Formats: sequence, C-alpha cells, structure tokens
Amino acid sequence: MITQIIVNGLLSGLVYVIMALGFTLVFGIMRVVNFAHGEFYMVGAMAVLLFYGYLGWPFFVAVATAGIISALIGLIVERLLLRPLLSEEMPGMIMTLAVAITLQSAALLIVGPSEQGISRPFGGTWTLLDARVPWDRTIVALCALVILAGFYSLLKFTPVGLAMQAVAQDRETASLMGIESKRIYAVAFGISCLLAGLAGALMAPIYPIGPYMGEIVIMKAFVIVILGGLGSVPGAMLGGLLIGLCESAVATLLNPTAALIASFGIVLVIIIFRPTGLMGRAVR
Amino acid sequence: MKSRYVILAVAVLAVVPWILDNRYFFHIATMATIMIPLAISMNLMLKIGQLSLAQGAFMGLGGYGAALLTMRLGVPPMVSLLTGGLIAAVVAAVFGPIFLRIKGTYFVLLTFSFGEIVNLIMQDWISLTGGNSGLYGIPKFSIFGFRLTAISHYYAMGLIFTAISFGVLWAIERSDIGAIFQSLNENEMVTRSLGGNAIAWRIAAFVLSALIAGIAGGFYAFYLGLLTPDAFGMRTLVDLIVMNTIGGPASVIGPMLGAILIVPLPELLREARQYQLLIYGISLGVFLMFFRQGLVGLLRLDKPGDRP
Repeated sequence: MITQIIVNGLLSGLVYVIMALGFTLVFGIMRVVNFAHGEFYMVGAMAVLLFYGYLGWPFFVAVATAGIISALIGLIVERLLLRPLLSEEMPGMIMTLAVAITLQSAALLIVGPSEQGISRPFGGTWTLLDARVPWDRTIVALCALVILAGFYSLLKFTPVGLAMQAVAQDRETASLMGIESKRIYAVAFGISCLLAGLAGALMAPIYPIGPYMGEIVIMKAFVIVILGGLGSVPGAMLGGLLIGLCESAVATLLNPTAALIASFGIVLVIIIFRPTGLMGRAVR
Repeated sequence: MKSRYVILAVAVLAVVPWILDNRYFFHIATMATIMIPLAISMNLMLKIGQLSLAQGAFMGLGGYGAALLTMRLGVPPMVSLLTGGLIAAVVAAVFGPIFLRIKGTYFVLLTFSFGEIVNLIMQDWISLTGGNSGLYGIPKFSIFGFRLTAISHYYAMGLIFTAISFGVLWAIERSDIGAIFQSLNENEMVTRSLGGNAIAWRIAAFVLSALIAGIAGGFYAFYLGLLTPDAFGMRTLVDLIVMNTIGGPASVIGPMLGAILIVPLPELLREARQYQLLIYGISLGVFLMFFRQGLVGLLRLDKPGDRP
C-alpha cells in the first residue's frame, strides 16, 4: 500500500508542480497574484473537450493546441488588462479576479453549467512493485516531466530565461542591464498560462470538465506556493510533490477533504516556524 | 458632495419597501440588509490593505453555528445569532495571528484556502450540516417571546443590524483608530515607530470583520430557513469584491452603495448566472481601469482621509 500511496502522490504531484510553477513564476516576476490561473487550466481542459472530445483530433495535437490557446488568451489579458495596473498590487489582483469570472462566464455561455467527461485516450494499468499504475496517469506524468524539463532548460540556458531570473531577483538592476521588463512580463505571463493550459489539457480525460473546475485547482496551487515559498521555482517543485504525497496518503487513509485539511495544516505550521516557506527568500 | 446627504438618501430608500408593500421588494431589501454588513466587513480589511477571502467562511460559521444551536440544542434564536457571530470571531482570533504573520499577499492566499476548506467541510460533514442538499427547517427568529413571522419583521431586524454595523464602522473610520488603520495600509514603519502595535491592530480588524460576517450569516439562516454551503463560497466573495470595487473601498459608504446596486442583480437575473458573471467581470474591469475610486470617487464624497 505504501508504494501505491507514493506512486499516486508523485503522479498527481507532478501536475500540481506544473500548476504551481506558472503561478509562482508570475508572482516572482510581475508581483501579481493571478486569480485567473485556475481558469487558464479550465480553458485548457475545455479546448481538449472541443478538439479531442468533439472534433476527434489526435489527443496530443489537441493538448498542444489547448496550451497555445491558453497562452494566447494569457498574452492578450496581460497586454490589455494587467499591464496598466502593474505597479499596484491590490487593483492588479482584483483585475485577475475579473478575468477569472469573465472566463467562467464565457465557459458557462458556451458549454453550460454541467460537468462533462471525455473518453480516455489510454486505458489499462501496469504494475510497479506492488502498485497498480493506470496508463493514462502515467502518460500525464511523463508529459509533465517533459514540460518540466523544457521549462527548466528555458529558465537556465536561454537568454530570455536568464532575463526572467534577473527581473525576478531585482527589477531595477535588471532594467539597468538593458533588460526590457515589459517584454519579460509578457513572456512570463504567456508561459504561465501555457503551463496552466497544458496541465488542464492533460488532466481533461481524468477529471470531469466544467466551468468551475479551476477553483479547487488554484486553491492547491496557493497551498503549494506558500509551502514552497512565494515566487520560488524550486519551492514550487518541492511543494507540489510534497502536497501530492501528503494528499495521496491522507486521501487513501481517510478522504480527499481530510487530505486538503492536512495540507492546509502543514502550511500553517510552516508559516509559524518558517514564514518564508521551505525554499523562499526573505519577503521584500 | 457631503457623505451625510448620501446616508440620508439611503435612509429614505430604506423606507420604500413599506410604501410599496410588495413581498418581492421586501425580499430584495432584506437581502441587502444581509449583504451590506458583509460588504462592510470586507471593506474593514481592505482599509488595512488586506483582501480577506474568508468572509464567506465566517458568514457560514455564523450561519450554521446559529442554526444548529437553535435546532439541536434549543438555544433562543437571539442568543444563537450572537453566539454564531462569536464563533466566527473566535475562529478569526485563532487563525488571524497566523494569517497576518506575513504582510501582504500571503493573507489573500491563506484566507482563500481557509474559505475553500471550511466550505468543503460544510459539504462533507453531512450528519451535521446536511451537506450540499442543505440544512432545512431552521425555526423562525424570535426575540423576547415575539416571533418574527412576516417578511417586514425580518426587514426591520436587518435594518437595525445594518444600521449598527454601518454606524460602528463609520465611527471607527472617523476616529483615531481609523487613522491607525489607514497608516497601517500606507506606511507601517511610521505607525510602529510611533508606538502602534501593527499586528495587534490587524488582528483586531480581522476579528471585528469576522464578528459582523458571522452575525450576518446567522441572520441569513433565520431569514431563509435553509442553508446550503454554496451560499458561503466563492460566489458570495465575488459579490462582496464587486460591491467594494464599484462602490469604492475608500469609505464605508462605498460598499453600502455597491451592495444596494448589486443585490437586486441576481434576483433579476435568477436563471442566467452566466450573464451575471459577465456583467461582474466587465464592470470590475471598467471600474479598475477608469474609476478606481468607485462611486465614492465619482460622487466626490468626502473621505475619512481628508478631514480638515
């Protein structure tokens, strides 16, 4: 059973990592709390519902298209709605909330309030030691690893990735070094929405798809980034895996709500003893 | 414009339901007397620069607390109502020091997560709350042996509750405490260097806002006679944020005006939640872009900050 708990925890943890990474990236670079992050996840899932579920495109083509659509919406939102409010934390935050409910209402208008499912593109299970692993979750986890590797190389080895790190560390110095922070904001927000859209797209066959599906996902992202340290990329990775494991254990032994309460409890304890999170820097 | 003219106009508006004597109108007006204190409770936290997304949870704690005390233990409704508010306040006093430990963004994320978890517990603890199918058969409210049966009785009670909450926060806003709150938002270092205990004032504001939200929840429970968890979730929080943004967060009059404008909307668009969300999303965007100070700014009301 312990192997099963660990396997389940890692499988869901990897998707949490992708969600939390995008959220923490936007916060680290733009200082914006993106309440619409869960809705970009929803947009990704909805796009898969359309392209794969209704139009019968190949699954991975649908997933890639979903990610691109989500990123494009993100770029438009960033340019038109967030950039004018960047210097102010509270109005910027409420603007992302406005984006969130507008996307929800769009989804409600298009597909209606009821939750839908699509056929799973991969069936069956395989066995790892004594744990049964469903193939569809395995594929999701593998894709998540590929996405993570891509994100990591982008951040570490490309000029734009280094520029993002520089802006996250010190906006003013970065601009003195000739980094145009506005362009970096757009790139960061686009990548963040791409990650959220891909996560939603990959999870679309596994969980029911509905206009409000982003709400619980974003709550988990919040818990993860606080645990890992707001704005910290390694923190989001560590936090995502930890929360995935913790949820898997508590959900197996008790129930999913108890699992959420447990992860929230962990976060409160972390805040008491280590306010900046596991991997966070001091709050400026 | 002088704020007191606006308050006078609202007071006149408050009499209108009795003149029209229409049940439907009474219902909307009573819902407004529940939402105004809630919007004001969120405004109190906005004053210290914090967006509290736990107000729905506090409303729910007060609502379920008051309803269950009367239903299961036979506590008199008036006592239950106040105890429900106290439960919310105590929970805020326990969690407040943790939520407010780090300044800024963490508070929003933590109160949001807290609210979602409280809501999940309401949905899952079916033996206590009835879960998503709801808690039915909450008895009518009574006070000193007088049972509130007609809707106008509830409206009168709601008006008293609204007037008290508004009065208290109006007084705070214009007192030295209001100045301290404002300085906490603007420059905490100065406040602390002048001997203000920043974290204690923040917790005090959080507890008071929870107390008001809890009592509003209890009143909601006795008025409707049934409770479902979705009334205390994100839906209500979005309503409260819209009320504060459209009304203008700078003065306690703002959320009151916002609530008066927004409360009739779901009643008018009862079957079309998607349009309601669309209207909310667009109006939030427009107000944030072009009318940051909300109606308070548009009407050029005198704000607490610009006292002579």
